[in-house]
Amino acid sequence: MTAGTAATGAVSPLLTRLAEERATGALLRDRGTLFLEDGRIVHAESPATPGLEILLTAGGGLTRERWREAVDRAGARREVARFLVDSGGLAGGELEICHLAAIFDAAFFALSPGSGPSRFRRGATHWIGSVRPVPAEAVERETVRRRELLDAVWPYPLLDTAPVVPREAAPGQTVTLRQRALLRAADGVRTPAALAWALGRPAFHTLLDVRRLAAAGLVETPREPAPAPAPAALPAWMTQAQPPDVALLRRLRDALEASL
Amino acid sequence: MANVELALKEATTVIEGAIGAALVDYTSGMALGTLGGGKDLDLTVAAAGNTDVVRAKVRTMEMLGLNDEIEDILITLGSQYHLIRLLRSRGSQGLFLYLALDKQRANLAMARHQLKKIEAELEV
Repeated sequence: MTAGTAATGAVSPLLTRLAEERATGALLRDRGTLFLEDGRIVHAESPATPGLEILLTAGGGLTRERWREAVDRAGARREVARFLVDSGGLAGGELEICHLAAIFDAAFFALSPGSGPSRFRRGATHWIGSVRPVPAEAVERETVRRRELLDAVWPYPLLDTAPVVPREAAPGQTVTLRQRALLRAADGVRTPAALAWALGRPAFHTLLDVRRLAAAGLVETPREPAPAPAPAALPAWMTQAQPPDVALLRRLRDALEASL
Repeated sequence: MANVELALKEATTVIEGAIGAALVDYTSGMALGTLGGGKDLDLTVAAAGNTDVVRAKVRTMEMLGLNDEIEDILITLGSQYHLIRLLRSRGSQGLFLYLALDKQRANLAMARHQLKKIEAELEV
């Protein structure tokens, strides 16, 4: 491991090293995969996030048929992104913005602390092709910022995985259009991840909206699970301090002094 | 059919007095792209901070029951203008363009007009 790895206080030491090596391939973790090209991140996906297809089609910028056509016709040569733009199905700016959103969203989950060990498959590429590479360092920095932001808004991580239960607004309390759409879709069963899929929004954005709504009292904050039962108490003779054995200490002192 | 980098480049070169520009996602506070700025103006920090400005204004409009959209927000400092232009026509994501201008050199009316044009190009 090189010296630079420690300096960044990295989210993933392996990712930092691969970026330094300008590696190309896929970094696989339990909660997602990052694709690198020359050490820069060119794509990311995670089972926890809706992904590029959903983000592009939910906004109405692209039809599902167009997407499927692009995957069918350009997937094998790994140029889906270029095909979408060149065929006039999608504006370059729109693709780039949604693609960046998808990368940072998937990376947030892929690089989360509980995402398990990392493996790297050297040389692996993704069929989406090239859009706009992002420095690995920028992705790591943003991932850390996002973690801190969630806890700054409302430090209850249980909200991220529990079903979202709306609460009645206080008199005069208003929510934004986006939040209203989220609350309407929250049926007491869907988790934030399920809501992200249903609304076609990035999963992190949904986590953040749910935390904001919970902070405003518009979503129930789940209680901490009951603390685990206290372990059986140890017998007193193991835990209570014993009076020092004065006779033993005297003998030790005498022996030490005798050897001086 | 400009991409993000081109749009920001245009904003900082075409618009007179531009100090820096950023394209910002205002739910997460992440800058999708920045250009210019420098050590006196950290655009990444400005991006994150100004999302609170935008969200506060959006909430206020809801409270007032104004059934309208924000086109832009102007913040006037002693030596700078900060111009926030919300991008419409994005179903899935709320974005804004953020532009910092040198007050001495900038023509505000012109800058707003040009920013509107850049927004249109980014969205076409």
